[in-house]
Amino acid sequence: MKRLLAFILALALSGCAQRKSDEGRVLIGVSLLNLSNEFIVMLHRAMETRAAELGVKLIVNDAQRSADRQVQQVETFIAQRVDAIILNPCEVEASSPAVEKAIAAGIPIINVNSETRAAPTAFVGSRDEESARLAMEYIARRLDGRGNVVMMHGFMGQAAQIKRDRGAKDTLAKFPGLKLIAEQSAEWDRAKAMSLMENWIQSLGAKINAVFAQNDEMAMGALLALEQAGLKDKVIVVGVDAISDALQAVKAGRLDATVFQDARGQGQGAVDLAVKIIRKEPFETQVYIPFQLVTRENADKYLN
Amino acid sequence: MKTWLSRFGLVVALLCIGAALSIVKPVFLTFPNLLNVVRQISINGILAVGVTYVLLTGGVDLSLGSVVALSGVVAAIFAHPGDWPVIVPVAAGVLVGAACGGINGLVVTKGRVAPFIVTLGMMTAARGVALVVSGGKPVSNLGESFRWIGSGGVPVIVFLAVSCVSWVLLSNLRLGRHLYAVGGNENAARASGINVEGVKLFAYTICGALAGLGGVVLAARITTGQPNAGVGYELDAIAAVVIGGTSLSGGVGGVGGTILGALLMGVINNGLDLLNVSSYYQAIVKGIIIVGAVWLDQRKEKS
Repeated sequence: MKRLLAFILALALSGCAQRKSDEGRVLIGVSLLNLSNEFIVMLHRAMETRAAELGVKLIVNDAQRSADRQVQQVETFIAQRVDAIILNPCEVEASSPAVEKAIAAGIPIINVNSETRAAPTAFVGSRDEESARLAMEYIARRLDGRGNVVMMHGFMGQAAQIKRDRGAKDTLAKFPGLKLIAEQSAEWDRAKAMSLMENWIQSLGAKINAVFAQNDEMAMGALLALEQAGLKDKVIVVGVDAISDALQAVKAGRLDATVFQDARGQGQGAVDLAVKIIRKEPFETQVYIPFQLVTRENADKYLN
Repeated sequence: MKTWLSRFGLVVALLCIGAALSIVKPVFLTFPNLLNVVRQISINGILAVGVTYVLLTGGVDLSLGSVVALSGVVAAIFAHPGDWPVIVPVAAGVLVGAACGGINGLVVTKGRVAPFIVTLGMMTAARGVALVVSGGKPVSNLGESFRWIGSGGVPVIVFLAVSCVSWVLLSNLRLGRHLYAVGGNENAARASGINVEGVKLFAYTICGALAGLGGVVLAARITTGQPNAGVGYELDAIAAVVIGGTSLSGGVGGVGGTILGALLMGVINNGLDLLNVSSYYQAIVKGIIIVGAVWLDQRKEKS
């Protein structure tokens, strides 16, 4: 029985190994942070579309938020001798070994959307600080630079949380009339954000002029709590990511604004870069895709 | 009566924390805030009551959070405005939950696999099914009547109803006594003619059904079915049950304690938010209170 299993396994593995040379196609290994996240799903679709256009083949793995699993996936890509790897890192530190191993094996590796401590061959993404800056500047404009703001953090210690926090606080520092009266983590989660907002309505109530949520899920939770308390017309709510729920809410005039992170631009950019590197064409090592502020006026452009 | 007396320490702890909070933050003791607290605990409460059944038999259910996500997504699919009467999405969610629980129960009793492993498997598989069914994206655009289930005091009423029925069932009906007997000493229960497998199967199924109901209420409250919702909910629910004095080895405890446990967790959560305690410290405080509450409770029982 064991021998039979080993035989089947060997057959399957040799099949995998041969496929590349058989077809002679460019093969790119992709390890994604988490395919149950809407943004990552959009990123994935953009990559597949671009890969089909360019005639390259992707092997896509879901790391399910585990940096450890991600490193294993990259090790498998290296063993398969893929032509390039696209890494959508789970964590700054813990995903770094994946980058180091690929570089050591001489396989180009491109980080997409977020960074690792170890330097990859190239990076495609957006500056997360910028998303928070756009959101906070919008709040400052709406409040004429005076008022009380509360902020909902993502998972404490994740790169996006740290950077959006920094971007928001740097921007707040430029508006002495804006005060951050409370900040708390709702762990990127809509239900937790709703409870947090309900609690803030109790403790701070009419003092709150604006809510900045570090992602749209939390912004939607805050919005629901404010609507149920009948306070929405007095409080500005802004999120980040432009998920479809949030875009619809912006269009309907419920959510004030969100910040669009260009999943398509990042996904296409990553595949383009990988192909350029494989074909030994000149490439940029840092490609930044800009964020865009979405309000009721331009929401239609982003809804599809 | 005896179970209520043994929960006395927990009631005192709850009152002390409540009193301290009302002094530091008077807003704590207002009707809207207290309604907030009970509404916020109602989902965890529904799950905790469900898992009480399983813990009483000496088992465990780690799949609750994933089942919440799956049944929330399934309910949401049937809850688009004008599609079906509201009973259809509710029933779909509860039935999906009951099916997951039933599979858990069957594998535990017929397959004789440890509950920890079975429900760990279900935790992974149900999450996967939720992602497949929803295509990895939240299911939104839910009808008014469905969203009503998650608004105002409705989640609280659902939680109270679930608690009352379970309390009657566990403390007064024969089936309830059998649950305690199975958890207390499985062999003795079997020797006295109790259908041990049937009782366990019932416990897992009702636990799954209540997780399904929790998923329906959650989806209605946040107005979407989220495939990634409910992560870690099983541990919050188990924590509430254990704080409430139900033994992890089975046979001891009950729904009254579970309600108090859920309430204590909700009050602490609400209090820490009202006081604007930093997220880092919130996690530490919650951890200490979970262990501390159980430790105090056990000390008192020994003395």
